[in-house]
Amino acid sequence: MIVKEVTIRNKAGLHTRPAAQIVKAASKFKADFFIEKDGAEINAKSIIGVMTLAAPKGTKLKLRFNGTDEKDAAAVITKLFDDGFGEV
Amino acid sequence: MDLDKKPLKKKFITVDFLYERLSSRLGIDLERMNKVSESERRITERDIHRPGLALAGFTNLFTYQRVQIFGNTETRFLNHLPPVKRIKAFANIATFKVPCIVVTDKNKLEPKLLALATAAGIPVFRTTLTTTKFIYLISDFLDDQFAPHQTYHGSMLDVYGIGMLFVGRSGIGKSEIALDLIERGHRLVADDAVVITRKGESVLMAAGTDLVKHFMEIRGLGIINIEAMFGVRAIRFQKRVELIVELMEWDGTQEYTRTGFERDTALLLGVEIPVVKLPIFPGKNVTVIAEVIALNYLLKHYGYDAAEELDKRIKQKIATGAVGGKASPNGLSGRAIEYFEHDFE
Repeated sequence: MIVKEVTIRNKAGLHTRPAAQIVKAASKFKADFFIEKDGAEINAKSIIGVMTLAAPKGTKLKLRFNGTDEKDAAAVITKLFDDGFGEV
Repeated sequence: MDLDKKPLKKKFITVDFLYERLSSRLGIDLERMNKVSESERRITERDIHRPGLALAGFTNLFTYQRVQIFGNTETRFLNHLPPVKRIKAFANIATFKVPCIVVTDKNKLEPKLLALATAAGIPVFRTTLTTTKFIYLISDFLDDQFAPHQTYHGSMLDVYGIGMLFVGRSGIGKSEIALDLIERGHRLVADDAVVITRKGESVLMAAGTDLVKHFMEIRGLGIINIEAMFGVRAIRFQKRVELIVELMEWDGTQEYTRTGFERDTALLLGVEIPVVKLPIFPGKNVTVIAEVIALNYLLKHYGYDAAEELDKRIKQKIATGAVGGKASPNGLSGRAIEYFEHDFE
């Protein structure tokens, strides 16, 4: 299992488009992927789940990957967050 | 899926066909004024022509190959000429291979001129309709006759009033989905061979072929006739194509829309039609999804887009920490219910 901490960097926060980006990227991997915010955890392969986070800029999220290709999944998805979903 | 096939177009219709259709199908009161061989006269264009200038003697650019309309202007012009000049003017245009002449608005062609037309083999008809009304009707008819059309492999249905064309590789289950939709009260336009015609510039109309109509093949069962089996409520003869649903096998490496923001379209006979790419796999109820696609299309048509609505709510929540003016508790997105009252039974 891999756990990463990320911060939302784009101004608009984690709205629908970034949420779709995350879910699409995640669905390419076999590994399970969860996002934790303030102690509550959602399945990050579900678009509605990711959208319910409604995380504004500056929010800290904990990403948890679990599965055979967790390393690749973690790399790809943390990069999405670090790049601010291409909105920075 | 390649749907951008080269359109087909009718090369010509004969004048007897035009006469028969205008009288029987459009109910236009057309009177035959002379007896010539109408089946040898061909109409090759959807446009009509009013030969005012040609009658006046200017025949450069005379579009003689079109249906010629003699309205009030042409008739009065001929009548105001002295008899010799009148005959000369008419004889001049009768030298061209005119497909036919229609005299509108209760006007008449005098016997001498009619004889000239007959001698030249030009059919002449007369109608009591006003010129504008007749031109409107014949243009619409000719427009349809010469409209670009093409046959596509797919199933065409009316689902909740939305014309949906299901496409996908042979054997993926288009007919089975069609059958399932019919069973649920929707209406079949055509299965397997769908003839699509462009009406005007941006409307696509679908129909079956005259031979097959509402017959279809179900693998492992054979040929069935939907009209005989389910009755008239299960069929339609024509329907506008509003949506294409492309069925494809689920492929883990391909991306499918998750929000519905991305709008796919396909070009059909030069018209852009929205496409929904629907991955299918065993156990997925495509019929219900097809109904939901139709209903969602209706909602969008009436101005409600669920994806945009939820996006708006999220942005509001990100910006203000609350949706609809209500502060939400800490933690996850907040619960929809503020306080659960006891729920005893």
